[in-house]
Amino acid sequence: MEEKIARLKQMAAEKIRQHTDTLSALNDVRVEFLGKKGEFTTLLRGLKELAQEERPRIGQIVNEARGQIEALLEEKKEELHARDMEERLANEKLDVTLPGRHKWRGHLHPLTLTLDRIKAIFMDMGFAVEEGPEIERDYFNFEALNLPKDHPARDMQDSFYITEEILMRTQTSPVQARTMQAHEPNSPIRMIAPGRVYRRDDYDATHSPMFTQVEGLVIDKGVRLSDLKGTLELFLHRIFNENIGVRFRPSFFPFTEPSAEVDISCVMCHGKGCRVCKGTGWLEILGAGMVHPHVLEMSGYDPKQVSGFAFGLGVERIAMLSYGIDDLRLFYDNDLRFLRQFE
Amino acid sequence: MQVSIQWLKDYIDFDETPEQLADLLTMAGVPVENVLRADEGLDKVVTGKLTEVVPHPNSDHLQVCTVDVGGKEPLTIVTGAPNVKQGQVVPVALVGAHLPNGQKISKGKLRGIVSMGMLCSADELKMDLANLPEEQKTGIYLLPDDTEAGQSAAKALGLDDCVLEFELTANRGDCFSVFGIVREIAVLTGKKPHWPEIAAKENDDARAADMVKIAIDATDLCARFSARVLKNVKIGPSPEWMQKRLEGAGIRAINNVVDVTNFVMVELGQPMHAYDYDEVKGHSLTARRAVEGENVHTLDDSSRLAKGGELVIADAEKPAGLAGVMGGLETEITEKTTTVVLEAASFNGSSIRRTSRAIGLHSEASGRFERGVDATGTVRALDRAAQLLEDMGACTVAKGVVDVYPVKKEPTAVAFTAAEVNRRLGTEISGAKMKEIIEKLGFAVEETGAEAYRAAVPSWRGDVSCMEDISEEVARIYGFDHIPSTTPRGDVMEARQSASQAFAAKIRRVLVSLGMDEARSFAFTHPLMFDRLNVPEDSPLRCAIPIMNPLTDEYPLVRTTLLTNLFENTVRNLSRKNEDIRLFEIAPVFLPKALPVTEQPDEILKLAGLLTGRREPVGWGQDGAAIDFYDAKGIVEQLLEALSIFRCTVEPGEHFALHPGATAVFKKGKEVLAVVGEVHPAVQEAFGVTKKMYVFEMDVATLLRNTAKDFTSQTLPKYPGVSRDLAMIVSLDTAAADVERLIKKNAGPYFKDVTLFDLYKGQQVGEGRKSLAFALRFQSGEKTLTDEEVDTAMEKIVAAAKKEFGAELRM
Repeated sequence: MEEKIARLKQMAAEKIRQHTDTLSALNDVRVEFLGKKGEFTTLLRGLKELAQEERPRIGQIVNEARGQIEALLEEKKEELHARDMEERLANEKLDVTLPGRHKWRGHLHPLTLTLDRIKAIFMDMGFAVEEGPEIERDYFNFEALNLPKDHPARDMQDSFYITEEILMRTQTSPVQARTMQAHEPNSPIRMIAPGRVYRRDDYDATHSPMFTQVEGLVIDKGVRLSDLKGTLELFLHRIFNENIGVRFRPSFFPFTEPSAEVDISCVMCHGKGCRVCKGTGWLEILGAGMVHPHVLEMSGYDPKQVSGFAFGLGVERIAMLSYGIDDLRLFYDNDLRFLRQFE
Repeated sequence: MQVSIQWLKDYIDFDETPEQLADLLTMAGVPVENVLRADEGLDKVVTGKLTEVVPHPNSDHLQVCTVDVGGKEPLTIVTGAPNVKQGQVVPVALVGAHLPNGQKISKGKLRGIVSMGMLCSADELKMDLANLPEEQKTGIYLLPDDTEAGQSAAKALGLDDCVLEFELTANRGDCFSVFGIVREIAVLTGKKPHWPEIAAKENDDARAADMVKIAIDATDLCARFSARVLKNVKIGPSPEWMQKRLEGAGIRAINNVVDVTNFVMVELGQPMHAYDYDEVKGHSLTARRAVEGENVHTLDDSSRLAKGGELVIADAEKPAGLAGVMGGLETEITEKTTTVVLEAASFNGSSIRRTSRAIGLHSEASGRFERGVDATGTVRALDRAAQLLEDMGACTVAKGVVDVYPVKKEPTAVAFTAAEVNRRLGTEISGAKMKEIIEKLGFAVEETGAEAYRAAVPSWRGDVSCMEDISEEVARIYGFDHIPSTTPRGDVMEARQSASQAFAAKIRRVLVSLGMDEARSFAFTHPLMFDRLNVPEDSPLRCAIPIMNPLTDEYPLVRTTLLTNLFENTVRNLSRKNEDIRLFEIAPVFLPKALPVTEQPDEILKLAGLLTGRREPVGWGQDGAAIDFYDAKGIVEQLLEALSIFRCTVEPGEHFALHPGATAVFKKGKEVLAVVGEVHPAVQEAFGVTKKMYVFEMDVATLLRNTAKDFTSQTLPKYPGVSRDLAMIVSLDTAAADVERLIKKNAGPYFKDVTLFDLYKGQQVGEGRKSLAFALRFQSGEKTLTDEEVDTAMEKIVAAAKKEFGAELRM
């Protein structure tokens, strides 16, 4: 009996070692030896024919042999599993250098991106965003801004007229007057007004008959020129960088007094002087000033009680300097090779 | 305006270089745009005396010169020029010079002899050849033999002057003169100007008032008209120094009389005009309005018909010139002129501006009048001109000035306190300092209280009229750099933007996430575009607003639709081989209430998009299929979903620019939310595009009005849902949307949603029929659904579909 067990055990071990290439073949071996009708099951069933005192010993031997075979089966199973896994991995090898599958990705226009940045900076400072019509009355575009008819400063802004009294707005400044007139007189205002403006300028690398401006206006008790300086410095440092130089030059606009042109140190040459800044090291970036008392009065505000500052900046100019764009026409050309560069 | 440094130095001494001076003036609000140097490239060119000139031993045309350039050792320079001789002084470009013509000078060896520089011709130094005698135009330029060797050639050649080009602001008419600029320099540098003494010697017995009659008929357009008469005039060239000053100012020399009037205009800022007395009919000059149709024969020999209302200066018979803009031809100063009437007047700026714009002529004089000329200065200008011509020996001066000045300009004054100026500027400048600044600028300042002042405004500063103007004067001289930087005080303000702005921003974001690129286009269009776009003749879109003065013929109208721009952008991209196009634009269109326009138009914010090209980017696993109608429609559907616009209906629709069989209209109730469709083949042809294009158009305000306002999230279901597929065969012309509607209506209480996931046309279902396959989902919030419950719903749907569409179940 014991011999038979040993032989069976050896036979099983042999089969497991040699004749099992697949999991199903291995399963066949299991069934052959350990299955319901397998050799060992038959052996165990034959135990009852043994003498009473022999049964526990032989039973133990059978169980031990069974256990050993099971261990061998398990070991082989793991081995086969590992081999299969390896094979599968080998078969599934990809050329990972093949490009991935892409979907179309859309892009916001660079002027939208720039406008969004400008708006975010001013909204952080508590500015509301206002709007106004693009086809505007001469009154709001010029007269309410202290620019009567035939004022020579109108030459700076050659206009597209619709009628004698209605024109394509040449600046976003009319939103100033509109906003003031919509407010309770002398109530505080802190606003920007972004939008399209139109001037009868030739279309070239630096001019366009339509472009984008952001107007700003702050009115309150005791607003000072120093507040204008501080606010615009903060803005320019955030939209460009902390290290950029900012310079205020006295200038003239009919709607502000005092007026200033604001320059930044040239972003191309860092102030050393180059083609972009025409060798001066400075780039004109915006116009600003303390709101002229006439402008306040015309919109129902009392210059004795409140004061304010206003500014206007060109969005194209800021976008061109931020992104290193050298031709303004690219913005309105809408060439997709250009538009798709801006993420 | 431009003026040479030399002219400025005639009246004030300063140590600043031209660049420093330009910077100083710019930072004080007198902007210098350019510093033009005549000596550009001449910094290593010196005067050299030729101490020896011998023929080159190895050449028959070269000469070897020994040149004294002021240094210890003379230089050896080889030249090919035939006109050099021993003892001459010539300009020598030293090694390292970079000449204005671009030539760089280096050490050279010519046929065995080392040459240490180059002798220069006038051309090589970029001298103005027109002003040179014939023999100096070619060959080496010869300086006078007694010229000191070793000095700067620029100086010896008179090329060391430098011109400042100003870009003056409209308020500072006073700076349109050498005197005005010198006044500013004096304030900024602290140096004292030395003004010339202006006085005319009336050395002729004749009395001006007896010879000429001056009148003003339009006192609103001409505040003052002053005249002098000059006799025994000898016309000739003006002296060289004056021609040089004028040249620096960019004004061509003509003859002594005209040059003097120009010189005085630039010097004092008062435009002048000279008339040939003998040609002035009736010896009378009147400032009056032109009569409509009246002919003005101007200096440039053109006949200009007056529109009426322009200010002219007329003699007894006809206009003798457009006041302040251009003189008349008949009374022009010529070589034969012997008696001259000099005019110095103050004309109304607006009137001059209108006239000069109407005829498109901007002169030195009109530019000054537009910005305002100091009416108190006319007589001084006449005196100055008479004095200059007298000094040249070019005339005698008749006694007296004929001066018509009906309403004398009263001096004005401005009151201010240091406190209010400081409050405006955010500074702490003392009253004494302010007083000092304002006084230096020519104001007479009187202290009226503690740090309170009254400043009498000088006649030339008509732009100063209130405390705020004073604050600007203080700020610009004190220096903007010295003003501190602060941030506004006051209450916290709400940084809001309008719902419509935020909404437009959201639309942009969603479309970008759906793979669309944003365009921005001009708001202009052309009538031809409406034809190309197939816009019906009676459509309001054709009522675009015309621009009175368009820039070019290309864009005479303001746009009424975004589609024309989208097509133009698409055509442009296609021509550049950008073939996969998905563009959108959000912008207003302009619809007039009536034409011609009498009030502001409606500005309506629109959204439009155009798609053409491939559905997916080119790639190895992607089939390169072209976009179709359903891609475009899908974008519209997803956009509406993202904007919380639910439960809209879709039906076949019409749009002039779209294919009648491939146009869908999205509606909510009766309101149209969106139109999407394939571009009409005729429109495609009109724009010259062969590829199929798909377009959508929406009105932003309508979209905003239809967004679901209150959003609450749904809790996730506790019980599993049941999915069932249902394929039905219906006739080809049955609309999918109708079948879907029927499903929703009959699907019972547990219905969740339905998606069409397959469409099949072909043999298996038979001709004229199609199979629509839907995936349905059922869900209950209270229980797990049983098969029976779902089966009941499905059976009801099938029965209803059979009844309504004759649908058969596809197995």
